[in-house]
Amino acid sequence: MSFTFDHVSLESEERRELRASVAALGRSFGRRYFTDCVREGRQTDELWHKAGALGFLGVNLPQEYGGGGAGLYELAVVLEELGATGCPLLLMVVSPAICGTVLARFGTEEQKQRWLPGLADGSARMAFGITEPDAGSNSHRITTTARRDGGDWLLSGRKVFISGVDIADATLIVGRTEDARTGKLKPCLFVVERGTPGFEFRQIAMDLSAPEKQFQVFLDDVRLPAGALVGDEDAGLLQLFAGLNPERVMTAAFSLGMGRYALEVAVEYARTRQVWREPIGAHQAIAHPLAKCRIELELAALMARKAAVLYDAGDDMGAGEAANMAKYAAAEAGAAAVDTAVHTLGGNGLTEEYGLASLLTASRVGRIAPVSREMILNFVSHHTLGLPKSY
Amino acid sequence: MSLRIVVCVKYVPDATGDRHFAEDLTTDRDAVDGLLSELDEYAVEQALQISEASDDAEITVVTVGPEEANKDGLRKALSMGADKGVHVVDDALHGSDVMGTSLVLAKAVEHVGYDLVVCGMASTDGTMGVLPALLAERLGVPQVTLLSEVAVADGQVTGRRDGDTATERLAASLPAVVSVTDQSGEARYPSFKGIMAAKKKPVEELQLSDLGIEADLVGLGGAWTAVDSADARPARTAGTIVKDEGEGGKQLAAFLAERKFI
Ligand SMILES: Cc1cc2nc3c(=O)[nH]c(=O)nc-3n(C[C@H](O)[C@H](O)[C@H](O)COP(=O)(O)OP(=O)(O)OC[C@H]3O[C@@H](n4cnc5c(N)ncnc54)[C@H](O)[C@@H]3O)c2cc1C
Repeated sequence: MSFTFDHVSLESEERRELRASVAALGRSFGRRYFTDCVREGRQTDELWHKAGALGFLGVNLPQEYGGGGAGLYELAVVLEELGATGCPLLLMVVSPAICGTVLARFGTEEQKQRWLPGLADGSARMAFGITEPDAGSNSHRITTTARRDGGDWLLSGRKVFISGVDIADATLIVGRTEDARTGKLKPCLFVVERGTPGFEFRQIAMDLSAPEKQFQVFLDDVRLPAGALVGDEDAGLLQLFAGLNPERVMTAAFSLGMGRYALEVAVEYARTRQVWREPIGAHQAIAHPLAKCRIELELAALMARKAAVLYDAGDDMGAGEAANMAKYAAAEAGAAAVDTAVHTLGGNGLTEEYGLASLLTASRVGRIAPVSREMILNFVSHHTLGLPKSY
Repeated sequence: MSLRIVVCVKYVPDATGDRHFAEDLTTDRDAVDGLLSELDEYAVEQALQISEASDDAEITVVTVGPEEANKDGLRKALSMGADKGVHVVDDALHGSDVMGTSLVLAKAVEHVGYDLVVCGMASTDGTMGVLPALLAERLGVPQVTLLSEVAVADGQVTGRRDGDTATERLAASLPAVVSVTDQSGEARYPSFKGIMAAKKKPVEELQLSDLGIEADLVGLGGAWTAVDSADARPARTAGTIVKDEGEGGKQLAAFLAERKFI
């Protein structure tokens, strides 16, 4: 047994055992399962439900609501390890991480009982909708508005690029309350069940091969009971911030898993493919880029773990900077790993059989969503470095 | 009374690693990470299923092995759902062969108390496959080995053994020893709850003296066989790749015929 820094300082035995168990589950499905699902237009339900039954999807949620009682760290381990076997579950970023966290921390008792057990065991899924046609990077521009009507709320607006609306039992919609006319964002969050009248969605044709799809959402005077508002009307901003760190750390885990998967395929290929006398992996032009990818993935993983540790320790502010940096670094490392892997395989890098080419687009998602690379650089420029704002 | 199930499991070097012999020609455990023998996971799985089907059962996993066999071996079985562990660890055990190991296991199983002992079909390192039979003999109880299906009811263990030419249905009265094959059903993955619970489950550590075993009956000295020498298998040479340019089938046949495979 080896006693590395990882083992002693960062990862407890339980976390390593979780990693091993999730990886074994992922391997039993494998990349082929995932790409078959995409080709046949199916969801990766078998894997999702098996992971749910083993308690992997809800590791971060409170035990009294059926979760594992652990933290974001463990949840990120699950997503990263599944991704590393070629089976990333995108909805983990929204369902247990954002929605589960927001409800567990701010939901009413009724909301927790209604949703958390299902989110924890995977029998229920929740999507998350904040992006609007005119409010992507600039979420201050959100115009989806809720107004009171007796004891109910009427919610109207449009959302775009919302993942998994079709398979989610509900979508957590970020709107604002009507009296918030000060120009400042005063968000409030609503749980909108899929079948609610006035809630409609249309699939966006994305050039991505993933089982989960993105949707435009139309909310047209959607009548919601008072109990659909998450927590308290004035706590919206806090709720939103509570969901952001898990979202960033999980996006990092998504990119890391994908990068690790691509790198593993490439290394195996470089070890065995022989063009001249030695396997191509002996050429430094092939080996060095792969080594660089490994270094960058490892560094990004370390930052993601730091962010998760800070978040789990209750330091939302401290976690913010680390989570942004981790998301940035993991997205870059993940995209670079896929790019390098494709090139390492030559023509085979673009065949369906090796399944890497489709990752070229998928690996770009981490650079764009949930916040783009530029918005993170903006954040670090003025928040961390204290430089003046450009906008 | 509750059904007492004992599962014998082995801590082995990862079969996917680059395994070697140590200088004294015993298994080199330092070079490769160790883990619970994959074939024993099937035994744990069957024990769990038997336990789940009975009202009242307790599963003890027993291992004879080095220090790490607890955390990196037994722990896995406990996180899959076994109730408690017994770890026989003693420097004098180094180099034991299957005769020595079966002696120690028999004493350990008796120490625990048992109605049913479940073993894997073989270990992934030694691959002797005779331990279950030796164990049953030492315990003086029936053995029903190499089962692909197993169940317990009314004081009996029943099972199915799939042979090349026939399928046997077997039964024995308890107490008994069974071994199960890798066809007995996929072993479960440790759940998150199982992983968290495993750390709190009791593991009893025993030395040879606790079991009343003389040290000279086990270890390298007590082994019935001695390994005189071991040579690494020569590295595999690069294979021949037949490129199919219309003549692929013929080339393949020629290749096989040349080596007298067809
Ligand atoms: C696959 C996928 C899944 C998604 N899933 C969800 C989901 O489930 N829920 C959800 O709410 N949203 C989701 N989104 C939306 C995502 O969060 C947005 O696409 C993202 O926030 C960027 O917004 P935008 O597309 O409007 O780009 P824009 O805001 O229009 O930005 C366009 C470009 O301009 C740059 N830019 C903008 N402002 C600045 C500035 N001040 N300085 C420098 N550069 C700037 C950006 O970096 C970007 O490169 C998803 C997106 C994708 C691609």
